[in-house]
Amino acid sequence: MQQTAFIGQAATRRRLLGGALMAGGALAVPGLVRGQVLGTPSLVPMRLSPDQLVDMKCCLRPLRAAGPNLGTESVGGKLVVHNYGHGGSGWSLSWGSAEVAVGKALASLPRSVAVVGCGIIGLTSAVVAQRYGLDVTIYARDQIARTRSFRASGSYTPGSRIALVEPAGPQFPDLWEQMARHSWRMFRTMLGLPGEPVRFGDSYAVSDAPIERRTWPADPAITESFATAGLPRQNSEFAHLDSRIADIVPQAVPLPPGENPFGMPYATRSSQMHFNFPAYAAILLDEFFGRGGKFVNRVFHRPGELADLPEDVVIHATGYAARDFWGDRTVIPVRGQTGWLVPQPGVNYSLRYRNVSALSKGDGIVIMNNNPDLGDMLGVGDSMELPNRAPIEEAMATLAAIFARSAGAAA
Amino acid sequence: MSARTGQLVAALALVALGTGAALAQSRGGTGTGRYTAEQAAAGAQVYAINCAMCHGARMEGRGEIPPLTGRFVANWAGRPVADLFAYVSRAMPQHAPGSLAPEQNAHLVALLLQANGVPAGARELPADEAALQRITFDPPGPAL
Repeated sequence: MQQTAFIGQAATRRRLLGGALMAGGALAVPGLVRGQVLGTPSLVPMRLSPDQLVDMKCCLRPLRAAGPNLGTESVGGKLVVHNYGHGGSGWSLSWGSAEVAVGKALASLPRSVAVVGCGIIGLTSAVVAQRYGLDVTIYARDQIARTRSFRASGSYTPGSRIALVEPAGPQFPDLWEQMARHSWRMFRTMLGLPGEPVRFGDSYAVSDAPIERRTWPADPAITESFATAGLPRQNSEFAHLDSRIADIVPQAVPLPPGENPFGMPYATRSSQMHFNFPAYAAILLDEFFGRGGKFVNRVFHRPGELADLPEDVVIHATGYAARDFWGDRTVIPVRGQTGWLVPQPGVNYSLRYRNVSALSKGDGIVIMNNNPDLGDMLGVGDSMELPNRAPIEEAMATLAAIFARSAGAAA
Repeated sequence: MSARTGQLVAALALVALGTGAALAQSRGGTGTGRYTAEQAAAGAQVYAINCAMCHGARMEGRGEIPPLTGRFVANWAGRPVADLFAYVSRAMPQHAPGSLAPEQNAHLVALLLQANGVPAGARELPADEAALQRITFDPPGPAL
């Protein structure tokens, strides 16, 4: 902790130095956090001491084997349009997925729709339906701040546990790309808004060895698969689609030694989009209620109860809960957890090293500890939704050591 | 308002009153003592081991995890106890859904009824969804 405090002081001094000498000409301050005339921006070190940990969240990503359910069916005379099962990509695909679901609802020419569920998918679907002129009522147990959506990390990850290759079939990648591209466009309309609901930050990865993209070839020794076991058994079963939108999403670039702000041999930097949950939710809820939307606190016990609703069209967006509510056993829980530190407004970057990462957002610094050897398989089939503190503290200690090491290099 | 209409309104009001009373304590409902105190006590044991870790020692819930009193009544009362029993049997505990025996789930439902102000009685709550379909979860009325 003392060392961390020292880095902070050193960083502040160097930033100030860099700023003061900017006008004067070239400056070469070695090591961490140098304010160069050109090149890396100044970095304020993250404060990663345990006293900063103010929350831990755990959530279940609703991985659906065939990808999100966007199908329709008739229940009790109602047209039900599904919009659930977005794995670790719910926020990132929300606008595109809502566009597809609302489009199917509009095709039956309703004047009003019911939306069941008020996570990011339900609320976005509701707002999109309103933008098309429909009267919308949301029926849900909770509003977004108390849903699983608020227990995500908030980083833009449109391809995270989104589907399994075989069950999703050959058509799915095109649909995914359509949803991902539309969502990306919509997020860009939210940049720079008050509260910064959507923001870009620099994302650094550091390493002791050259950084290479990891691939997951199929392991022939693993003979079971989703088809036989009802759960994926290895990473190669997962759809990996991110490369399809690499033309618009910033990719990591290696940093030459002179631009590496950390005292680590190798580093990459990319620009990472992320979501600030409170500001984002406030904007969506304001629009929803501002357009006359109604929220009804209601719990449904079985699909047949949808017949009681006054609306003829229902958009079903209950996420992981669809596994039980709709009896969809192809929705697979994938556990994930995050630690949340007090927000540090001067810190606008993220740092990843091996299995651990810290992402600074307006609503806090998100700490994650994800075993890289498990890849997409981490948390699959695990529906324990209570957080475990030890891995979070371990991650904080690992990252704090990197800052200490960087400070040592800078001294 | 004519006398005739007045009579009609009065009659309707009586019917409404009757319906209200029926709702508060339906004939096949939990208001007439449909679980035993022993079952609820056994349920407390099951709860402590399997449920309290998420829903809390006082059933208070936490943030995203729903409490099992208060608004719980709004979610589950006025419908067959079978719905609650089926949900607990099928979906809980969340980390190991469907892992509890039917008797354990019946004990948990007895505990939940007790915790929400439903009186115990001499009859045991059956651990059988079909039988529970005939028992309505009567709202206990306001906590005074």
